[in-house]
Amino acid sequence: MKKILQFIQSMTFGLILLGAITACSVIGSLIVQNGEPMTYVRYYPDYYQIIFALKFDHIFTSWYFIALSALLCINLTLCSVIRISRISRQKPAAYEAAFAPVPEGNASPEQLERIRQKLESMRCRKEERNGITVYYRNDHGWYGSFLTHLGLLLTIILFGAAMYLPKVIDEPCYPGDSLILDDGTKITVDSFRIEDETGKLDYTSRINVILPDGRESGIKEVSVNHPVSMGRYKVYQQTYGTVGKIRAERNGKTDEFYLENKDFMSADGKNGIWFDELYPGFITDDQGRTTLIQSTSGHYENPVYVFTLMLDGSADMMMAFPGDTIEVKDLVFTFLDPVEYPGLRIKRTPVMINPLLLGAVLLMTLGLYLAMFAQPVIVAVGKNGYAVRGPKPENTQYEINMILKQDQKGTKV
Amino acid sequence: MLNFIFFGGLVLYFLSMFLQFAGMVFKKESWTRIAWFLFLAGFVLETAYLIIRGIMAHRLPLSNQFEFASAFSWSIGALLIFCYYRLHLDWIQSIGIAATFLILSYAALQPREITELMPALRSSWFGFHIGSAAISYAAFILAGGVGVRYVLVEKKDSNDASLEQMDHFIYRLIALGILMLTITILSGAIWAEEAWSAFWTWDPKEVWALITWIIYAVYLHLRINRKRRGAFLAWYAILSVPVVLFTFIGVNTLLPGLHSYGALEALTRLM
Repeated sequence: MKKILQFIQSMTFGLILLGAITACSVIGSLIVQNGEPMTYVRYYPDYYQIIFALKFDHIFTSWYFIALSALLCINLTLCSVIRISRISRQKPAAYEAAFAPVPEGNASPEQLERIRQKLESMRCRKEERNGITVYYRNDHGWYGSFLTHLGLLLTIILFGAAMYLPKVIDEPCYPGDSLILDDGTKITVDSFRIEDETGKLDYTSRINVILPDGRESGIKEVSVNHPVSMGRYKVYQQTYGTVGKIRAERNGKTDEFYLENKDFMSADGKNGIWFDELYPGFITDDQGRTTLIQSTSGHYENPVYVFTLMLDGSADMMMAFPGDTIEVKDLVFTFLDPVEYPGLRIKRTPVMINPLLLGAVLLMTLGLYLAMFAQPVIVAVGKNGYAVRGPKPENTQYEINMILKQDQKGTKV
Repeated sequence: MLNFIFFGGLVLYFLSMFLQFAGMVFKKESWTRIAWFLFLAGFVLETAYLIIRGIMAHRLPLSNQFEFASAFSWSIGALLIFCYYRLHLDWIQSIGIAATFLILSYAALQPREITELMPALRSSWFGFHIGSAAISYAAFILAGGVGVRYVLVEKKDSNDASLEQMDHFIYRLIALGILMLTITILSGAIWAEEAWSAFWTWDPKEVWALITWIIYAVYLHLRINRKRRGAFLAWYAILSVPVVLFTFIGVNTLLPGLHSYGALEALTRLM
């Protein structure tokens, strides 16, 4: 049992886990993730059974990838605990041990003077005892590795929480309409634009959020990279669309509809118009032939409605532009300007996850900086020699070696 | 005019690289000195090019493959100059000049027109996220280059005094690279939450950035083991370079995802 525990907390085990996670990541990046089963049958006719059996089609949510991540978290936890307890033991002892006798004769008096000058230029603090001067700095560097591992552990856990705990709803919403969420929160889209005044694409919605307790955001702009936060909700400008609009008049009564589907509009079920498609524009060639544009990004410059006119048993496919009117028996249809609308993403995140995650991210970055660029420096300089001490003496030893070489050669190294 | 500056820089880098190698082969120190000045002149032109392009585009020149490759090449150049003047490492010249030239040559093969920054990239994280990626890649490439030199020098003389320095320097470059890559990944995650509502989407670019990070994290752990030093770690640094290049070039061309901004319009279209 003790051996198993030792293995789980070992660096070797950590490296094996990292290797396995890397292998899974490579597979996950090469094979399409979360696709329809038929996608795999079509693209990997010889391998799809293996893909399904080994869950390569959703490897990042497979039980073994989650297990590897969980084991890595355990390894990191144990590493962190071991590290902090080791540091708390080693740190005071290292400063005490720094005053131990230094090797004699490993540097000349001139070289020792150069080392002293270098350490003083590095703004090291110094303490003298029994003829040995100990220079030291970067006390906080002792915690670099611990903070990196702790930060990584917290980042993984909180990333997981931030990915899987929020409730996400994707909803299109036409300008003037509102979305009512389960808890009574109301989101109203005041307006939406695809392009700004200068014609630059910017996909901006103006929305108002009203929380169940009556708090109101007021009209706020939501655009890509600029979500609106209100309470636990964050509203994103996720997608956009353009929908056709038509006005129908009969016996002095008027109504307007959005043309969302291939709808049949009729008073008697026989005569009317069957909406087919709204196209963003068209091109007319030299011979007068018209080709409809299938898709566009941005604004519909010359929208064209395509529909089938059903009249007295005959069916004729026709085109219409905004403003055109079609009379079908006692019904009068007027095609209106299409309406651009946003697809909003509404995310409800448990309180504190995001600030905690940000804290973990900062902790990890700080830890990495301390571990690699602010390692503890402990150098004992005696009358006839010196010694580099502390937990990670390599960098300091390297710097000193460079000073010694420079001294020997009298030139730069 | 702008093209003249860009290609002027590229030609100077090429001449510098050529003269550098010729100087090494024929043991002419004056040639390598001239090569260094040619490199500096090329760097000045590349810097001027990026500044002018940024002014013309009203943004940082980091938005597409060409601009990123140029910034990547510039970062290698900047690191090289820092190493040469601040750390007095003159042996790094040949590696750094070649890397700077090769990456800028790759940039030259990409479309160079200045395009408007698309809405998904209009964020305060833009410069931070992409700039830190350019520096981290530059550090990793230089580390690999130093690794090549280490292996060559060790083959000639395994007791060469510069080996320790090179080993240490590979470590320092990888430490810088991993710190910057951590900043890239974490700032990218925060940006992704603002833009796409999720910190992490397992997009191929994210996955390969993570793979790169793991590979270099493993290097740092292997380094703790004193038995595995020197040539082993130099080879490790060399063999990790293709992973960096795949993350930079391969993912964008072979594994399109949310980071392939040419295709983003189609992805964001609802209808």
